[in-house]
Amino acid sequence: MRRTIRLYRRQLGAHLRAALQYEADFWILIGAAALMQVVGVVFLGAIFAKIPELNGWTFWEVVVVYAMVSIAEGVGSLFFEGTWRLARKINQGEVDYLLVRPYPVTLQVMSSEIGLNGIGNIVVGSILLGLGVARSDIHWSAGNVLLGILLLVSALVIKVAISLGTNAGSFWIPGPYSVVGYGIHQVGELARYPITIYAIGVRLAISVLVPFAFVSFFPVAVLLGRGGSGRLGLLTPAVAVYCVLAARWAFNRGLRRYEGAGN
Amino acid sequence: MSIIEAHGLTKVFRRPVKREGLGGSVAHLFTRRYSDHVAVDGIDLIVEEGEAVAYVGPNGAGKSTTIKLLTGILVPTAGEIHVGGVVPHRERNANARQIGVLFGQRTQLWWDLPVRDSLGLLRDLYDISDADYRARLAQFDDILELGELMPIVARKLSLGQRMRADLAAALLHRPRVVYLDEPTIGLDISVKDRVRAFLRELCADGTTLMLTTHDLGDIEDVCQRIVIIDKGRKIFDGTIAEVKDGFARQRQLHVDFASPVDPASLAALLPEAEIEAGIDVPAQGPHRDFTLRFDRFRLTAGEVMTALLSVGEVADFRLDEPAIEDVVRRVYAGDLRLAAEASR
Amino acid sequence: MRKYLTLARMQARSVLAYRLNFVLSLFALMFQLFAMLAIWGVMLGSGRNLNGFDWGHMRAYLLVGFVCGALVSQGADFRMAGRIQDGMVAVDLTKPVDYQRARFAEVVGGAWTELATALLVCAGVLLLSGPVPWPGVPDLALFALSLVAVLPLKFLIVYMSGLVCFYTQNYLGVHWARLIIVSLFAGALVPLSFFPHWLQYLAAVLPFASMSATPALIFVGQLHGGKALALIAVQFVWVVALWLLARLIWRHAITRVTIHGG
Repeated sequence: MRRTIRLYRRQLGAHLRAALQYEADFWILIGAAALMQVVGVVFLGAIFAKIPELNGWTFWEVVVVYAMVSIAEGVGSLFFEGTWRLARKINQGEVDYLLVRPYPVTLQVMSSEIGLNGIGNIVVGSILLGLGVARSDIHWSAGNVLLGILLLVSALVIKVAISLGTNAGSFWIPGPYSVVGYGIHQVGELARYPITIYAIGVRLAISVLVPFAFVSFFPVAVLLGRGGSGRLGLLTPAVAVYCVLAARWAFNRGLRRYEGAGN
Repeated sequence: MSIIEAHGLTKVFRRPVKREGLGGSVAHLFTRRYSDHVAVDGIDLIVEEGEAVAYVGPNGAGKSTTIKLLTGILVPTAGEIHVGGVVPHRERNANARQIGVLFGQRTQLWWDLPVRDSLGLLRDLYDISDADYRARLAQFDDILELGELMPIVARKLSLGQRMRADLAAALLHRPRVVYLDEPTIGLDISVKDRVRAFLRELCADGTTLMLTTHDLGDIEDVCQRIVIIDKGRKIFDGTIAEVKDGFARQRQLHVDFASPVDPASLAALLPEAEIEAGIDVPAQGPHRDFTLRFDRFRLTAGEVMTALLSVGEVADFRLDEPAIEDVVRRVYAGDLRLAAEASR
Repeated sequence: MRKYLTLARMQARSVLAYRLNFVLSLFALMFQLFAMLAIWGVMLGSGRNLNGFDWGHMRAYLLVGFVCGALVSQGADFRMAGRIQDGMVAVDLTKPVDYQRARFAEVVGGAWTELATALLVCAGVLLLSGPVPWPGVPDLALFALSLVAVLPLKFLIVYMSGLVCFYTQNYLGVHWARLIIVSLFAGALVPLSFFPHWLQYLAAVLPFASMSATPALIFVGQLHGGKALALIAVQFVWVVALWLLARLIWRHAITRVTIHGG
């Protein structure tokens, strides 16, 4: 287990070293990603300047939800960016080499690239999270702090698992990039805001079908004590486990298809 | 137990048949029809440790598929494989540690990393000790001049440079079995020679080698055994000498006489030889240069020379050796399969 | 002229071949649109009116913004960046074709599909959320005129950000930077009147508002007659100014052609 993590870090580190060669690009990428999160919040600010609340959610509470998605995306990009290159690897027959190395194929894929923009997402996301949480009505007992950490970790796991599971679609639909992966990722943008603003169909889609809402809305609802949604939010760790299993299953089925059909 | 044991190895690919026209597309939505393509058809292969086997056949014969089956990348439709006592597609990790693979057309180096970093990552993945790693790199530097490639990012390597680095990558962890698919593409002749010498040494040390190649120099210089497949079936399995004896029986002798000689007189002396007159040909009549083709088991070169010397003064001659090239050409032309079937 | 028409046609055809690719590139815009529609729907739902926008007008505003956003969205800049990065641009530069005009021709070729698909999405939204107030004929004419200016204007912004690739190795960051700046100052998701005054002044001197806000405001009736014409004139002035600026930048950029790769 330790070996697995150590080797994962080594691979990411090698890519980080290579990326640091291009200093200008490094800063532009991080800056742009950071700025994107800021602009999103600026939009929210402009809207909330006129009306103080959205379905009972205040500006800072919405910012917390928004920030969760930012952080989750940042973690995905920084540590698991390789997931998005799976389609290209399959397309160019590079998966063969992965199959003959003594290390799990999933991890080889995920660590095959580092997305430095993730640093921008994480930094700004964390600042926004901090600001939002401070200005929201959350009672920080020791229990709540632990719960918060658990929910945060679960949310991150869900995001990464959804990325992996959807990108595995490339095993069935070949191409230079993952149609399923990118398509569903965009749907996740809806989860940047409290999902009560959407029609019931959309709400079900992003809670049950592809549980983006458990990356941001439901965990936050728990800490804010939002009744029904809050209670559903307690399921977040279970959803995380489910997503990991589903993603692994999808990836392994995809690999088996690859081994059955060649390419 | 032999290091590679494959019995009845079969791989069938199911491809959905797309039908013509609009009607076909609609029908395709409701009923799928499949065509089965048999890429590998019941191949038996036994390789002992330390052997160097050339795996030859025309394009589409099933060579790459066989290699993928042996390395565990593909799961066989039928048949059994054991490599080093392990079933490759089931015990992936255990198999990975004992094999090295090189696919000539694709690189296993990390595209945006310098070669040094790629090899460093492989060192970690295969748990190679520092001392062993350094020794190995020194060895590669010797034979492949790897040192000059180390700082270069993989995507900036030329084809020849990339092949050298990929060879190092495949052999870094001292695998017991090495599969090489077109390993000498893009290498210049001096590096090719050194690589072949290195591969011979590897075999001498006990490494098993399976080489898929179109390069005949590789076959003759490195391998003792040759397996020929076509249309998914094995049509020959034996030593290089055997295959030449069986299918490259023809030798060619080119001769220049000092003064023109009547081909009829040659034909009379050597009825079993095929005689072809030189380039500028009047239909019949005397000639100076000839090419004679003869089955080396029916006529010896000596007998031919004797006959030639008795006909006229020989100014110059050249004798061609039976070459793998001839065998391979005949395989690719489909001759060999017919010959093999005929001789059964 | 004919060679540019050919380029345009080729691009139009290749777009149809890469249908899925294109629809996907629209996805990002679509879901942003849906999210904003949902938010504004709640904000303006119960008959409220903010800054002169009621729910019907806001929907119209967002949809026009979406259509403008869909134009030139198929990655003309990524195509440029790709060719610059793998050195193939050297081939392009040897052809007897004006680089800028050629890229514009390609964009025009692809614009039809972008427009058609965007309108389809709008139709879908209208079906689900109900009709929007339609401008009268004079305003409609002004709107159409304004829309005409959007295509070359957007092209120039995208083109110039593509030119940055002559100066950097990696295009992705530059692309994102452009997206941010444009999204902030074009007013597609949030009308500029909602922003603090200093931001509005800044937006007024930048070309981005002309890319989306101007036609959208005309459509929802917040810009009439004289004022509308003035802003349309501003659009066209930007088109000319940026066209010339782009040519200047290009002339400098090609001195920096370094061939990456092998």
